[in-house]
Amino acid sequence: MVMEGWTLADGLRGLAGGLMIGAAASAYLLINGRIMGASGILGGLLDGSGRATASERLALIAGLVGAPALVALAGHAPPTHLTGALAIVIVAGLLVGLGTRLANGCTSGHGVCGISRLSIRGIVATLLYLLSGAVTMVLARHVWGII
Amino acid sequence: MARLLSALGVGALFGLGLVLSGMTDTLRVQGWLDVFGSWDPTLAFVLGGAILPMAIAWRVAARRPAAALGTPYPGPTGSHLDRGLVIGSLLFGAGWALAGLCPGPAMASLSFGGTGGLVFLLAMAAGMMLAPAVRARLNGPMGRRKSKMDIRRLSDGYAVSPQIAPSDMAALKAAGFARVVCNRPDAENPAELQSAAMKAAAAAAGLDYVYNPVTPGQMNEGNVAEQAKALAGQGPTFAYCASGNRSSQVWALARAGQDSADALIAAGARFGYNLEPLRDRLR
Repeated sequence: MVMEGWTLADGLRGLAGGLMIGAAASAYLLINGRIMGASGILGGLLDGSGRATASERLALIAGLVGAPALVALAGHAPPTHLTGALAIVIVAGLLVGLGTRLANGCTSGHGVCGISRLSIRGIVATLLYLLSGAVTMVLARHVWGII
Repeated sequence: MARLLSALGVGALFGLGLVLSGMTDTLRVQGWLDVFGSWDPTLAFVLGGAILPMAIAWRVAARRPAAALGTPYPGPTGSHLDRGLVIGSLLFGAGWALAGLCPGPAMASLSFGGTGGLVFLLAMAAGMMLAPAVRARLNGPMGRRKSKMDIRRLSDGYAVSPQIAPSDMAALKAAGFARVVCNRPDAENPAELQSAAMKAAAAAAGLDYVYNPVTPGQMNEGNVAEQAKALAGQGPTFAYCASGNRSSQVWALARAGQDSADALIAAGARFGYNLEPLRDRLR
């Protein structure tokens, strides 16, 4: 069942934002020759494997953090609604960090950059994390009621 | 500089797209994953919108030799489904559902995500730093003797080590490498470690094997070209010699002009390989 209150305007805003994300990923591929994968760009800095391209990674992260910060300064940042218990937030962060690095990609790397080139690894990874997310949602929200 | 400005602009556009699309709204993301509850279809629009231009970009890239700033395009990723990909994706999906954040939006919402967002980001960073150790354990030969190999990752797609044994090939395959390059001339090795035996072991493990012998002090352009060819192949490359030193040098020379001399020298220095004498040739 589609949620109550969802309108096509939400979908169109999603589409517009998605086109911007896709345009950014395209520019990074065609200009810099690199994959715009958020977990790989950050993870490579943290575990040292991306040291040779550290400045490029830092520049991208500066834009990624900085541009929304300007929007927030102008008072237009939408709420994140992240209100869960801190313990759950910590567990979730650990799972996302560890999982995306083990899998070599997240929503942007596997989902956007992988699927668009019909990469088997990208498609399988995306199906698996969507499946795992949906199952977790059933358990955590509807069975245990912890989120 | 152009490279950094471009990356900055890409990051900015990425961040604004994430905010506009609703990907930084954790309730919206959780709604998307709540397939059996009240489902929020917005993310299908986001993914579709993002994949469309990127599919065109891949087609444009296929017709050009290199990106605008001269970097070769990333090679195909292959279809090898390793344990890390499967387990990692399942863990990621669970975490994504619990908080409603994935890595891109977690960074994009840093300025307005409050304490929760910051805590998530720090926990995510910790998880990322744990990954290499967990990966080594996942890929290691379970319950059998631990390989004595010391894999030194100089970059995302390239690692070196001192001399390896034929029995190490399976572990290299499991660690995700696509090919093994030998930079040690056969004359330095007993028969059981020479290229014929190593090549057979690599083939048995499903790895490509390249024999690119570098005589100490006599590295030539042919060596560099051969290493560059191996690096351009699909998937990560593993190279060895006696200590890993020659494999580091020939890699740095193959990467010269694509990565800065400072970055290449720093990558080597992390594992005790001194690439400083090559500085002039790395510019």
